[in-house]
Amino acid sequence: MNKTDPIEARERFESDVLSVMGRPGFRYFAALGFCAFLVTLGFGLWGWQIFRGVGVAGISHPVGWGVYITNFVFWVGIAHSGTLISAVLFLFRAKFRTSFNRAAEAMTVFALMVAGLFPLIHLGRVWIFYYLLPYPNQRLLWPNFRSPLIWDVFAVTTYMIVSLVFFYVGMIPDLAVARRRLKGFASRIFAILSLGWNGSLGQWRHYNKLYIFLAAFATPLVASVHSIVSWDFAVSIVPGWHTTIFAPYFVAGAILSGTAMVITLVWPMQRILKLENYITTDHFEAIAKILLLTSLIVSYSYIVETGFAFYGEHPFEAEQFRYRSFGDYAVLYWVMIFCNSLLPLTLFVRRLRRSLPYLFVLSLLVNVGMWIERFVIIVNSLARDYDPYAWGTYTPSPVEIGITLMSFGLFFLLYLIFLKVLPILSITELKEHHG
Amino acid sequence: MDRRKFLQTAGIVSGTVFMGSCGSERDQNKLISYLVPPEDGVTPGKALWYATTCTECTAGCGAMVRVREGRPVKIEGIPEHPVSRGGLCMRGQSSLWRLYHPERIKTPLLRQEGGFLEISWEEALGRIRENLDVARSEGRRSVYLAGRTTGSLSEMIDLFGETAGVERLPEFEYFSHAALRRSYGALFGREEIPHFPIDEADVLLTVGADLLETFLSPVDFAARYSEAVSRENFRWFHAEPHMSLTGANAHRRLILKPGGEAALLAHLLRTSASGGRKPPRAVLDSLPELSPQDAADATGLGEKSLRELTEAWAGAKRPMVIAGGVSVGQRGGEAVSLLAGLLQGMHGWADFSRAENYGNVGNANDLAKLSDRLATGGIGVIFISRTNPVYHAPDDLHLSARLRQPDLAVGFADLPDETTRELDLILPVSHTYESWGDTEPRRGIRTLIRPAVQPLYDTRSEGGILLELAGKGESYRDWLFSRWSGRFGEKALGEFASRGYLVEEAPGEKAQFDPADAIDVLKRIDFAQTAGPGLWITPSIRAFDGRSRPLKLLSEVPDPLTTISYGRWVSVPEADAKRLKIRDGEEVRLSSGDWSVELPARIQPGLLKGRFTVHREHLHRAPFGIDPDTGEFIVRLDGPRVEKTGVKRPLAVLAGSTSRQGRGIIPDPVHREAKKEEVHARLYPEHEHPEYRWAMAVDLRRCIGCGACAAACYVENNVPVTGQKDHLKGREMSWLRIEPYYRDDGAVEFVPMLCQHCHFAPCEPVCPVYAAYHNPQGLNVQVYNRCVGTRYCSNNCPYKVRRFNWWPHKAEEPLRRMHNPDVPVRARGVMEKCTFCIQRIRAAGDAAKDEGRKIRDGEVMPACAQSCPTSAIVFGNLKDLEAKVTRLSKADRAYRIFDVLGTESSVYYLKGQE
Repeated sequence: MNKTDPIEARERFESDVLSVMGRPGFRYFAALGFCAFLVTLGFGLWGWQIFRGVGVAGISHPVGWGVYITNFVFWVGIAHSGTLISAVLFLFRAKFRTSFNRAAEAMTVFALMVAGLFPLIHLGRVWIFYYLLPYPNQRLLWPNFRSPLIWDVFAVTTYMIVSLVFFYVGMIPDLAVARRRLKGFASRIFAILSLGWNGSLGQWRHYNKLYIFLAAFATPLVASVHSIVSWDFAVSIVPGWHTTIFAPYFVAGAILSGTAMVITLVWPMQRILKLENYITTDHFEAIAKILLLTSLIVSYSYIVETGFAFYGEHPFEAEQFRYRSFGDYAVLYWVMIFCNSLLPLTLFVRRLRRSLPYLFVLSLLVNVGMWIERFVIIVNSLARDYDPYAWGTYTPSPVEIGITLMSFGLFFLLYLIFLKVLPILSITELKEHHG
Repeated sequence: MDRRKFLQTAGIVSGTVFMGSCGSERDQNKLISYLVPPEDGVTPGKALWYATTCTECTAGCGAMVRVREGRPVKIEGIPEHPVSRGGLCMRGQSSLWRLYHPERIKTPLLRQEGGFLEISWEEALGRIRENLDVARSEGRRSVYLAGRTTGSLSEMIDLFGETAGVERLPEFEYFSHAALRRSYGALFGREEIPHFPIDEADVLLTVGADLLETFLSPVDFAARYSEAVSRENFRWFHAEPHMSLTGANAHRRLILKPGGEAALLAHLLRTSASGGRKPPRAVLDSLPELSPQDAADATGLGEKSLRELTEAWAGAKRPMVIAGGVSVGQRGGEAVSLLAGLLQGMHGWADFSRAENYGNVGNANDLAKLSDRLATGGIGVIFISRTNPVYHAPDDLHLSARLRQPDLAVGFADLPDETTRELDLILPVSHTYESWGDTEPRRGIRTLIRPAVQPLYDTRSEGGILLELAGKGESYRDWLFSRWSGRFGEKALGEFASRGYLVEEAPGEKAQFDPADAIDVLKRIDFAQTAGPGLWITPSIRAFDGRSRPLKLLSEVPDPLTTISYGRWVSVPEADAKRLKIRDGEEVRLSSGDWSVELPARIQPGLLKGRFTVHREHLHRAPFGIDPDTGEFIVRLDGPRVEKTGVKRPLAVLAGSTSRQGRGIIPDPVHREAKKEEVHARLYPEHEHPEYRWAMAVDLRRCIGCGACAAACYVENNVPVTGQKDHLKGREMSWLRIEPYYRDDGAVEFVPMLCQHCHFAPCEPVCPVYAAYHNPQGLNVQVYNRCVGTRYCSNNCPYKVRRFNWWPHKAEEPLRRMHNPDVPVRARGVMEKCTFCIQRIRAAGDAAKDEGRKIRDGEVMPACAQSCPTSAIVFGNLKDLEAKVTRLSKADRAYRIFDVLGTESSVYYLKGQE
């Protein structure tokens, strides 16, 4: 980083970041088109499912939740590290977050948008989804506040609102920069979005207070949201779900998958958009360390869970874990162990930790592993619960696979649009730290 | 308003009123007009009950048809009925599916080039008369072949035969019990089958006779079994080479060597000679010597088991033996039935005063004779009614081709089958629930057949058609009533009409026991058995001899032993599965000579090595031929070649596992004291039940796993019938299922599993919208309108009894007419489950409220409890300390499934035998 001329450096930050928003090329449109195709396909399949009935999905008895809920938990998990990186690291004054925070926050918002679809998709009668909301009605009926699914509704909507506000507030000074530097229609849009920001000292004083307040407000959500998602399972009596370790276990898992997704997104971004000056190997190494830490927590949870089953003298729980390791879905279980527990151990090696291609491949595998983890937990537990007569298996149907692809398509579609319409790095923070 | 406006308005108003008043009630196409009082006695919301007889098989069980708004919607057993004693089997429960079957034959059909032509009754009857005349003038005989016929219809056929010159052939039944009747003829001079009151015996030995599936009168046997099994001193041995539902329910299943039946019975005859009751000298002399060692070898039972049986037999006051089923359907079946008859005669069981009425039934040899006569061309018109000989006849009879020989082949049928396909003229007959008639399944027991609904189509009853062909002017109903009043008198006729049955005085005559004729046969007994592999064709509780196959509900309810619903399969012993390396659903080829069949395998515990079984309805024709001595169909194939084909065919096995997996589903033993100590911490306050707390007790000792309850539940609660595709995916919708649990030794225990209506139901707190909710009467209710379909309740149910509507299930026309109007039809996307028949609880509650009292014990009977032939299910109010269910819930044998979870379910199970 050239520190000789602050004015020139600031100018370069602004132009470098905003130049990303320039006219997109063919490859961008190809990627955009592909994602849009997946999204159209997925929504078409969802429409088909509503028209024909949930039977077009592979879920059945006894496995009433399958890929849809797997996706929900997966995407909520992805959403996690956004808050962690922007809010928690902000409070800890971890400066390396500057390079990632906008990307991570955007990831949070988009992942939550995708995640929020799945509880709707899996409903038998989505057209009355509003029964889940506490709205005043003449029948004086409220939702059942004992149900973890209602907690979910509140947890996810709260998280969504806070993340959006945090994302937006953090961006206001940058939007003002964009207003100043861009021309024409875009400038007018950013004029409205930047809410009359002029960078005066008074504004900065208020802004910093608000930002730190929001960061403090968002931090507990890192723990709470995924704890509540985990209670969707832990509050039930299903062997393999009903365990007190689920809340910390899921939070750690969420951060693990979230950090992996950050690496998955940011490395290509750094390469393609030529942001090597701003996002350096040191930054990736810091993220990799978080990944390693959470992976260790997750591995610990696996061990504890299995220990419970082994020492518990509870035939149902014991059978569940025997089934997970050696039953119909054993392959998935061992892939999960490899991706989430064994592979991240290589990050103890500094050279590997600093090898970006290696980190990228690892992050992809951790994503796969974490998706499988949710699948293993959900499907195995339901496939073998109490009544042996009712045991069964589950295979995802083409509709479920298509809708899963749609979720990835939608996420990347939103992310691609984000790259071209909003400043992808925090210009003001770059100026603050490097200027 | 000006003048013009006034006139315009007045014109429009008067015109509208005038136009609106046009037309009559008749044209409005409404089922019930609310303006004009109904003439036919239909009151909206009020059910009518008609007592009639179930004719899904010929046992003659009493059936009450429940009619709502002019449509039969449910069949229930007539309480106290002399044949069925209040219960019905699953075939009886499904009989409405025949009435409303979409493929019912609706008009007379005439064979044409490439199909059948719909014709009028006049033309059809005209053709028959014409052909009868031609045949008579050209000297060819006309013949009448029916299924088992009793009562007035039998007289009608005789009357028709006399007037029209038609010869009545011996009737054709697959289960003709010909060997048994022949032996009773030889021993007692009566070619009939005595009635077996098994509840009066203290030791019962059944040899192959499938009492609980198809043998004679299964519902009656089940009811009597239930009586007997609640006594301490009753012991039931069942000897069979394979594995049947009957064997699974016996106290002791003796697994015979194929063909070892005669040796077993002969040994019993000899050893019982040492007790007080001696067989006639001549009989003993004619029997070959058999040492206990020989007998143990010949029967394959081992000396210990054999001694257990003979000792029980010797110590019994009234031991009874019944032979039948697969044990007489083999070469040497005559000897088996003779020996059983001898034992019955010795112990005073050959009571023919209420003999099963098989008087008109012939045997399979008669079918062969008919085939020969058809081939020689001497037959003018052949009538075939209520029987499907083409399906059962062995290939070498060439029956289907030869049915084209006569001038005219006429069939009376309600549904198309293998036989009707070969006929020239099909006359559609009304269903039993659309016609008048009676049956006499046992001597002196008359059961009424009366219509509960006008014929749905242009159909007539068989008796009515014959009466018209015989040229009598009166209606069949009038003809019947005149015969009845002549026979019973007016007073008894009234009783007959209201109760649906009449028991006439039993003739006091005693049958003469004279074994002289039997000696010859006994001398010739060949105690040869085969030790090699075998394939048995077994009767099936779901399809009888195959006739109930078209009723889809009977495919929906799984076979009790294998839990397979749709499709065909062969049951393979565990040992052979291991040897051939086959798993469920992998196809095997069974062959012998040029006969072969390929079926997917289902591994069946309890079958010895090399013993394969296949249900009757899964094989076409009678592949193993006929026993010429007795005219029974041979049901055993010796030494079939068995190979794995390598093809995998999905099999709708509904059970994930048929092992208890050490989970205490049937605890052994029941620890009552330990249970009391368990205290569960409660997060939420307890439910209050001010007046009622409904509960159920299921006696596993009485439960025989027959599945009648499951079928009854389907019909009562409009449970959708989903079909094979959904069953393969585990999407069956049954609210009640029978779970068979096999022990390591092959013994089976059946557990009816339904919503347990837990006091602390795991499904309730997890529902986000209160669709699963606990009502003040202790019911765990599901509010369909509120359900959004998260399926969390089902995930959290340890009993997995909740069923999700994956599709909008639309019943085909006219099956929709069977829907019970008291129960909503559930929409797609909602969860449903057993309601303890809440509609019946409500109805009883309303009636009680009108009379200002509480619901009495026994007043509410869910459909499952009502249908249960063994009365294993008891329902009632736990708040009523006098109620039967309260008493049973406190019994020593009582336990609740997964009590350790603290669900405090409302279904108490009473542990069965050890």
